[in-house]
Amino acid sequence: MTGPVCIEIQNVSKKYKSAQENSLTDVSLNIAMSDIFGLLGPNGAGKTTLISILCGIIPQSSGTINFYHENQPVSGQERKSRIGFVPQEYAFYQELTPRQNLDYFGAMYNLAKIDLETRREHLLEILGLSKFADKKVGSFSGGMKRRVNLAIGIIHEPDILFLDEPTVGVDVQSRNAIIRYLREINSTGTTIIYTSHHMSEAEEFCKHIALIDHGRVIAKGDLTALRNEHEVSNLQSLFIKLTGEEYRD
Amino acid sequence: MFKIFSSLRKEYLLLINDKVGLALMFLMPLLLVFIITIIQDSAYKMVNENQIPLLVVNHDAGEEGEKLVALLTKSGLFKIDSQDAVPEKSLKSELLSRGKLIGLYIPQTFSAGLESNASDVSNILIDDLGLERDSVSTRKVSMPTLSFYNDPVLQENYSYSVMGIIQSYMSVIENSLMIDRMYATMDLGGQSEKLKDKMISNRVKINQIVASNNNSTAIPNSTQHNVPAWTIFAMFFMVVSLGSNIVKERVNGSFLRLKTMPTTFMLVMFSKMAIYVIVAVFQVALTFSMGIWILPELGLPKLTIPSNLFAFGCVILISSMAAVSYALMIGAYARTEQQANGFGAISIIIFGAIGGILVPTFVMPGFMQFVSNFSPLHWCLEGFYILFLKGGSWQELKNVFAFLGIFILICQLGTYFKLRMERII
Repeated sequence: MTGPVCIEIQNVSKKYKSAQENSLTDVSLNIAMSDIFGLLGPNGAGKTTLISILCGIIPQSSGTINFYHENQPVSGQERKSRIGFVPQEYAFYQELTPRQNLDYFGAMYNLAKIDLETRREHLLEILGLSKFADKKVGSFSGGMKRRVNLAIGIIHEPDILFLDEPTVGVDVQSRNAIIRYLREINSTGTTIIYTSHHMSEAEEFCKHIALIDHGRVIAKGDLTALRNEHEVSNLQSLFIKLTGEEYRD
Repeated sequence: MFKIFSSLRKEYLLLINDKVGLALMFLMPLLLVFIITIIQDSAYKMVNENQIPLLVVNHDAGEEGEKLVALLTKSGLFKIDSQDAVPEKSLKSELLSRGKLIGLYIPQTFSAGLESNASDVSNILIDDLGLERDSVSTRKVSMPTLSFYNDPVLQENYSYSVMGIIQSYMSVIENSLMIDRMYATMDLGGQSEKLKDKMISNRVKINQIVASNNNSTAIPNSTQHNVPAWTIFAMFFMVVSLGSNIVKERVNGSFLRLKTMPTTFMLVMFSKMAIYVIVAVFQVALTFSMGIWILPELGLPKLTIPSNLFAFGCVILISSMAAVSYALMIGAYARTEQQANGFGAISIIIFGAIGGILVPTFVMPGFMQFVSNFSPLHWCLEGFYILFLKGGSWQELKNVFAFLGIFILICQLGTYFKLRMERII
């Protein structure tokens, strides 16, 4: 922890109605402001469930979650205004253009028309989408769609950004562009909570991580400290050491 | 305000990008109205325009057969095609080959039989009165039989109606003959006109009053039925466009993404409903314009717009709300776009069939007429019928509003609960 806490997660558990076991059990984490926090774990570990709870998509079964802005708790609509969410799916309208998608989702974040237009053009430029701004997203490559997905999540300049596998299925160029831009917004104070299966990418990108397996946090903290503690040379080795080599389906 | 505008704009953009959906919502009803109106026009004309095509073969050796044909012609109810050269045994095949639905065969002994019967009646009366009569015996000819041929596709009640009309003209001829015969027997020949006038012509009249609220004499014709019917059908066909939009937004996570934003999901639903209600109003404007201005140019009946425009607007609004609500529900429950399109389209065709869109409910068997009450399309059509043919009585429209109101409520609640189960709301 390097700065004031912006998200405080205390003993959060989640059990879906149809499930026999908990998806999350007693998860407790503190995420600092301006951190890049990696939520890592094998398939089905509970990463997406935790992000969904943090974003308010699903409720936790027990435990508490608090959001803070400048040490003051925030909730409700204000909390929603301060967070951005980039889901794993292409959660936008493929029949519309990037410009039209950004206009719509920006308005849903209560942005004023003039601010929205300025912000929209800036993002299209930065993410290399200006040339295609008036073409339907349905005709885009996977990498371009990922960038549109990201742009929608950050159109309102959120304080906290949740990213669920933001670089899955994209080429190296698109991945670099996404990571580069995420670093840039982090440097201006945006807190990033991120999940990925790319261990090398996570190792390079994250400042702190939490390893989740079977719905429990099995390791958390500073990446270098964790490597030293478990006597491994990289994140992938740490991951295998703590979660095993068995298939996870 | 900007948020509402953006939400409406998004729905509008999704709509105009859905070319197949637009074609189904706007081109399909125009084509259906055009084709079905032309096809049904002749059938409606047959019922409404008092021109029943009738093939007559008169083999009568006397005058009474001609009198019957003259009376039928004078009535104006029949378009008579006289083919006296056709032998009776060929009449069936002649009827079919000429495309006529009804044929009447008058036998050779028609007049002789009627005259013989009139003489018998006259003799009985003279005998009962104790008057003297000529005892010369006349040749006895049995009562003739008219043969009525009808195409099997003709409804039974329609055939009975035509036979009833022929029967009433036969009464005129028979009564006239009897009076003439009695007067002749009593040597009062030539003085029977006054009695005939009193007995035959001076009958109880039936004053026909159309039971509509504005004394409208509008009658159902192919345009008055098909224009509203296929407009309603097309309104409900928006399930293909709106239903699949909702499935896409559910499945691709757009709805869940909206849940993380400082907005209400009700705005999304409101925008969808508003845009598609406007679509429905445009559908009505388009097809009704066709009924008013284009169909008459093709020799088809002109669509008559109801006088109660406020009630007309209310019926359009509630019909479109019913269509939108149904599409929302299908979109909420379908798992894939294919399910929404397939089930949505088939269910609308079934609702249309049982609701009187394809064929009017009054020609359906009793059981199906009862079943039609469960089709929202039936109640929408009923609303338009009340407006077009009955002057738009609020008293009668209240059933339409009640049923469609319940239907809308069920669809909206069904949609709400499904989206709530999926944690979208």
